[in-house]
Amino acid sequence: MMDDSTMKIDYAPYDDATQTLRQIDKYTPSATRVPSAPLIERPLTLSERTGPTELVSKWNVGKLDLCRLAPDSPRALGQLIHVTGRVTDEDGAPVSSVVMEIWQANASGKYIHELDDHRAPLDPNFTGQGRLVTDEDGRYEVFTVKPGAYPVLYSGWWWRPPHIHFSILGTSWMNRFITQIFFPGEVLNEKDLLLNGVPSRDVRDRLIFKPTDTVMGDLSYIGYQRDFVLRGHRQTPELP
Amino acid sequence: MKQIVSPGCTTGPFFPVDFSDGSEDLSQRNGLAAKGQHIILTGHVLELGGKPARNMVVEIWQADASGIFRHPLDPRQQDCDPGFWCWGRARTDADGVYRFTTIIPGAYEDRAPHINVAILGIGLTRPLVTNIFFDARADVVFECVPAELRSRLLAKPEGDGVYRFDVILRGENETPFFVE
Ligand SMILES: [Fe+3]
Repeated sequence: MMDDSTMKIDYAPYDDATQTLRQIDKYTPSATRVPSAPLIERPLTLSERTGPTELVSKWNVGKLDLCRLAPDSPRALGQLIHVTGRVTDEDGAPVSSVVMEIWQANASGKYIHELDDHRAPLDPNFTGQGRLVTDEDGRYEVFTVKPGAYPVLYSGWWWRPPHIHFSILGTSWMNRFITQIFFPGEVLNEKDLLLNGVPSRDVRDRLIFKPTDTVMGDLSYIGYQRDFVLRGHRQTPELP
Repeated sequence: MKQIVSPGCTTGPFFPVDFSDGSEDLSQRNGLAAKGQHIILTGHVLELGGKPARNMVVEIWQADASGIFRHPLDPRQQDCDPGFWCWGRARTDADGVYRFTTIIPGAYEDRAPHINVAILGIGLTRPLVTNIFFDARADVVFECVPAELRSRLLAKPEGDGVYRFDVILRGENETPFFVE
């Protein structure tokens, strides 16, 4: 993304029809945290068109396997999965060398986090989080286990379906990206407030993994795939 | 072919604590101290009713003391201060307080010294973005904010290099946010 073409990237406003709603009925924290005033339009200056592309050097970013502590350690409990995909811009051009952060619950639906009060066991062989960097073709891959569902305790009723959290630092302040990706065919998907906080079936499908191959061998696992499209497209050159 | 931008979603409550640790201090990098005026940038993140928003992720992006970003788009990138991370991330504590160690950025072209800030976390399906300014001088983004609200984007000096900037997500004295 450091070639000359990146220098002419334009950022159209998000199309709300393709995005998750800001305010979601029954998702109570959105009622107390989403601003009531309309967001203010501003010109995009160098400050917004730049962003933290330097972070690969800040963190120890390498191959990512969330389900064992070291290459010869025992694997975490749960169903081994291999998640792959590609990060592109709106032109389909690869977004390479950007940092992706991944975190998820273990197979029993428990996060390694001081605020997780769910009474489910931690797994000593599961790290649950990590960073990777996209390759020159914008691709990423991670071995992990399929996360368990977990209850949203404050809600009194809501169970989150299995999902993996993704954060992509992007190439500029304008395409910082955070999402959650769900698994196909889960009963809990039907009632999840966040997954259903998107206006259309088409959009929801882009928050769900595609199953790919099952692999049999030294390592047997189920493949899932999810591509991400970050905002930004090359400006059309002006006609002479 | 034009691709459709992926839908984002909230970080939820369990954004790993480790992902914020070590990024609150932008003022030293590769064993070098940043040039410029070192400051503590701190404040509360509050939700409706003035209640603290705990466990929110606060990210900042700013130029160095000379107004240079470490990014290929900045024509002066090579001169960016090697002792300064232009990026930082902090997490709000049980009182809703975040805290960065950074520097006052330099002005450049049409921009007064300012810090980009993004708030992520439970309740927010998309990041909330705004700018922190240090004074009310002319700035193309500052001037997009209705005049009566501009003071809400000013960091308040508290002495000893401490600057306070409270983020009020919703309600009375709500912080002006920009289209992201
Ligand atoms: Fe989650």
